[in-house]
Amino acid sequence: MQPYSGIRILDLCHWLGSYAGRLFADLGAEVIRVEPPGGLPDRTRATPGAFAFLNASKASVIAETLAEFQALAATADVILLERDAPFWDQAEALRDRFPKLVVTCCSPYGRTGPLADAPASDLTVQAAGGIAWMSGHVGEPPLRLPYGQAAMVCGIYAAVATAICLRDAEKRGRGHLIDVSGQEAIAHSLQNAIQVWDLESRVSVRGGEGTRDASEDVFPCADGHVFFASPPSIPAAWRALIAWMDETGHPSGKALSAPEWSDQEWRKTEAAKSAFRDHFTAFVGSMTKAEIREQAMRRKMITAPVARFPDLPDDPQLQYRDFFTRVNGHRFPGAPYRFSEPVWSVSQAPELSR
Amino acid sequence: MTPDFLADIRFTDLTWAGAGPFGTKVFSDFGADIIKVESSVRIDPVRAGGPFRDRQPGPNRSGYFASRNTGKKSFTVDPKTPEGRAIVLDLVRRSDVVTNNFGAGAMERMGLTYDALRAVKDDIIYLSMPMYGESGPLAQMLGLGMTISGVAGLLWGTAYREGDPIGPGTHYPDHAANPYHAAFAVLAALRYRDRTGKGAKIDLSQVESTINFVGQGVMDWSLSGQEPPVTGNADARHAPHDIYRSKGADEWIAIAVTSDTKWQALCGVLARDDLAADETLATAAGRIQQRARLDAILADWTRARPAEQAAEQLRDAGVPAARVASSRQLIEEDPQLAARGYWQRVEHPELGNSLYAALPFTVDGERIDLKRPPLLGEHTTEVLRDLLAMPEDAIADLEDKGILK
Repeated sequence: MQPYSGIRILDLCHWLGSYAGRLFADLGAEVIRVEPPGGLPDRTRATPGAFAFLNASKASVIAETLAEFQALAATADVILLERDAPFWDQAEALRDRFPKLVVTCCSPYGRTGPLADAPASDLTVQAAGGIAWMSGHVGEPPLRLPYGQAAMVCGIYAAVATAICLRDAEKRGRGHLIDVSGQEAIAHSLQNAIQVWDLESRVSVRGGEGTRDASEDVFPCADGHVFFASPPSIPAAWRALIAWMDETGHPSGKALSAPEWSDQEWRKTEAAKSAFRDHFTAFVGSMTKAEIREQAMRRKMITAPVARFPDLPDDPQLQYRDFFTRVNGHRFPGAPYRFSEPVWSVSQAPELSR
Repeated sequence: MTPDFLADIRFTDLTWAGAGPFGTKVFSDFGADIIKVESSVRIDPVRAGGPFRDRQPGPNRSGYFASRNTGKKSFTVDPKTPEGRAIVLDLVRRSDVVTNNFGAGAMERMGLTYDALRAVKDDIIYLSMPMYGESGPLAQMLGLGMTISGVAGLLWGTAYREGDPIGPGTHYPDHAANPYHAAFAVLAALRYRDRTGKGAKIDLSQVESTINFVGQGVMDWSLSGQEPPVTGNADARHAPHDIYRSKGADEWIAIAVTSDTKWQALCGVLARDDLAADETLATAAGRIQQRARLDAILADWTRARPAEQAAEQLRDAGVPAARVASSRQLIEEDPQLAARGYWQRVEHPELGNSLYAALPFTVDGERIDLKRPPLLGEHTTEVLRDLLAMPEDAIADLEDKGILK
């Protein structure tokens, strides 16, 4: 028995909604990609990794005609539709015909409004939703996030909305039509930028310019980079850094004890950032990521090694928890959450039927 | 609409700061009874963090807190006292779900382990979400969204150039990946409980959750043995594909030519028949070879035009394009979000009439109406009296002893 055993989901997603079906499939739902004879668009457009990740644990069938699709729909609890794929225009008809059915529609801008049909991509959805604006350096362009984040954010909101509506459909017999917008999903994930504008009329600028402390950034070290933060809002972390420097007799400890480092506003300036970078890099530049992490844990400082994918299997904590699994011989991310009951499993993404 | 979909569900919600409360908020938005257990002594750091109404700090004036806690009840108690702990256990007895995002070991120190809570409610659903999991060599690492991004591989890939990592401008994993993986897991556990009668413990390592959020890149590496290239706003398979400067100060436009047809459409908008006819540019491979040249041509065109106007022209021709929107532009100038009623205003005694992002979907054509976030301790007496059936004099006694702070 898995949480979604007995649930059948037809999945016509090829980008923004694909992760939703994946999450249900890992927890026991029968998730069936319903594809035209040539396959849904992601079979040619997605990178091999994206396809393998987003479609694991699913099955695939081919449905050419509306009649074939409707026959499948009659057996389904949930149908996931996505713009620019077959049967996108069938949402209302399906709801009319099957009163307990949950139909979830994913698209870049939603099913309504002036941009409902506008062309889009990962980059433009991240731009239109406001997350690209918030990353990067001032003086350079805004910067998008990597590895298909528009699809991840849209997909996970679609999954949660679908799970809530499915519960209502099962408990009370009420089906629902959910309309998920990728742009809105991104705009829902902007930290506190909406309130910063509404309440204080400030625009949150990329890189936290003017708001982020000099000590909070990415710094080079002997074998890569570390993220480090010891802002004045966490006085113990700043004291711990100075103490660490002093213990080793490094001159940066004395330099960072100068009075200006007590000035929270000055610490947000370019001058402070540049000075901190020089002093801190002089101190940690010859240390490894692992050494810095060990010291930080002992001294309760905030830091993290900047890991690359090949580093992940060597992460001692991920090893301890035996995080990675294997699918078809390839290393594959383990579950995003662990249940005390053995309810999660993953299997290879389906080939297209011939 | 004000949905009652989850009206039969109650949480004893010990989450605080960003990621935890954002995950339980969607339950209160859909009608669940979320009792947020907090403290006026050790205050939720997000209540103490801004932005604040009129820039005046105060526990009930933080917009950040408000945006993570709509529709919840606030219940103040000190769970480290014997009386306080007994009250928390009483709440758990009447709850379906208990949630926390403390560091590893904190729930144990309060005597609120899964086993202890299962002893008072045998089918309880128990969610913990420490940074790196509950035990192990790095379980005590201090977690923030940025440290999670760092160890999960997201920070490395968020860069203009390979080898010069910048990272997301926000504590990104706190704002979708981790809260919504948590919410999805709790919903699954509820269905499992309904079918089997069994509760569950959910151990969500925020690092493992975030590695799944970069899973597309992880799998490209795993399948090929090659790390995906760090390309910034470019795309290794398409060109032109970037963010370009527009007319005005700090104005930008994203343009993504993701097919040969879209390339022809772009040439049409630029009125460049010469480029359209150039066979060396007819395929993505050819355009990638001349990426720098095409970026320069496109940048000349965008620099002369307002971003929104250029984006509209390109979209009308079938080319994916969007103004790179700031928070202000999203709120004040975005016609799509306005047309879909994305922004909601909610009245609040101290925040006044303030702005919220709606849940990013409609249900049956309607928005989910957000309910006002609670004042600190607003529902303490009500919950003790109405839910725990405690007499007034017993409540007064607890207040006198300082248990309800």
